[in-house]
Amino acid sequence: MLHMLLEIVNIVRENKNQPPLPELKPEFDLRTDLGFDSLDLAELTVRVEKEFGIDIFADSFVLTVSDILAKLRND
Amino acid sequence: MTDKLFLYDYKTDKSYFYGQLLADLNSIKEVSEYNCNHDLYATFLNLISGILPNQDLVLLDSDISEQELQNLNLSKTDLLSSKAVSEMNIGSVNELTEKLKEHSNWQLTLFTSGTTGIPKKVVHKLSSLIRAVRISERHSEDIWGFAYNPTHIAGLQVFFQALLNGNTIVNLFEAGREDILQLINKYRITNISATPTFYRMLLPLADSYPSVHKLTSGGEKFDAGLTETLLKAFPNARLRNVYASTEAGTILESKDDTFSISDQTLCKIVDAELFIHKSLLGEGKEFTIEEEEWYATGDLVEVVEHDPLRFRFLQRKNEMINVGGYKVNPYEVEQALESHPLIRQAYVYGKANPVLGNILMADIITDDTTSERELREYLNPLLQPYKIPRIISFVKSIELTRTGKLKRC
Repeated sequence: MLHMLLEIVNIVRENKNQPPLPELKPEFDLRTDLGFDSLDLAELTVRVEKEFGIDIFADSFVLTVSDILAKLRND
Repeated sequence: MTDKLFLYDYKTDKSYFYGQLLADLNSIKEVSEYNCNHDLYATFLNLISGILPNQDLVLLDSDISEQELQNLNLSKTDLLSSKAVSEMNIGSVNELTEKLKEHSNWQLTLFTSGTTGIPKKVVHKLSSLIRAVRISERHSEDIWGFAYNPTHIAGLQVFFQALLNGNTIVNLFEAGREDILQLINKYRITNISATPTFYRMLLPLADSYPSVHKLTSGGEKFDAGLTETLLKAFPNARLRNVYASTEAGTILESKDDTFSISDQTLCKIVDAELFIHKSLLGEGKEFTIEEEEWYATGDLVEVVEHDPLRFRFLQRKNEMINVGGYKVNPYEVEQALESHPLIRQAYVYGKANPVLGNILMADIITDDTTSERELREYLNPLLQPYKIPRIISFVKSIELTRTGKLKRC
């Protein structure tokens, strides 16, 4: 699951000309560590939903990679 | 008063006091006719130094592309034009605010997404920009978190509200979540006016921010689910929802997602659409037709109570897409995409999104292989970032309506 999420994160990063990350750590903050702004986070939600069928921002805002993993596991 | 902080900008980590603002104004010998500046202080200085000698100003987004400039019939050299002015000789902050108010006929030109794909020009007099400004002793110690683009009407209204009360402004626009929360505490910010997207980007809010006493939400559909969370983190704040437009500035204010019209000579609802009286409008080619008393906003509403009249906003009548408070015209984006040699047809639309309100999507038909990334790179120099589709799908056909127009939902 972490690997698939890494691929999605890297698509968003590459689309805005940022180098892909070699790995994704659960403690990574989406905004500060991944450098995602509101447009990037919106893109991430659509791509994650397409892959996993889950809207990660549906009821509360996620802050870190582990928050996303928790949402994906819960469903 | 001159040692009071006028602006702190996190982008440059610079503090500007009122004394420096006066000194900078008094040393100005020529003023710009266009402002297209990345720096917030420079933009504020251009605004004030335009008003004092009554020199009209055109305000452009700092990230405007050359293509977008061309669409406005402007070149980069036009942006450098300036006019000589006589010395301003402002002795105090009080004198500054009084002099500013004297120039109610000063004109500012803004651009907003037009329905035709070409940006629409709107000319505001200072009197209409500051119509909603409240000046009183009660506001003298307000400290504003500046969370809007300074070239947009909402940003201008915050700027004038703060300046005319001699307040401190702390720039929060495009700042990261942690920086914003830290700046709120450090500067003891009392007022924030922002889009629901701005507030959503602050979540989750674990701590409490007692200095804030007023939160204003506008520019996008009100997010009722957000209210409770915000009021918990800002325990001393009142939350207001405002409806404003580039053509008229702030028009309506309420505590929740419903609005009531107190003066029916200024606003009315016809066929579920909100109309504004022309006396509230700036001037613009498309909407100040002398014989027409009322301007159709294109915003559709649902009446929840007839007496007194109360309603809530539903959606846009036209095809404009609201992306985090920025209005995007899909035709403009389609034109940019279709200028790519490999793209045969493009269809741009908004999809509901929990972060931005709407996210921009594009379906395209290509003659040859290309990638999403390649297309995003192609669009970068053509369009401002919020106009670039974040999800581009390659499709075999695009559904057309019976009239041959693209189908939009």
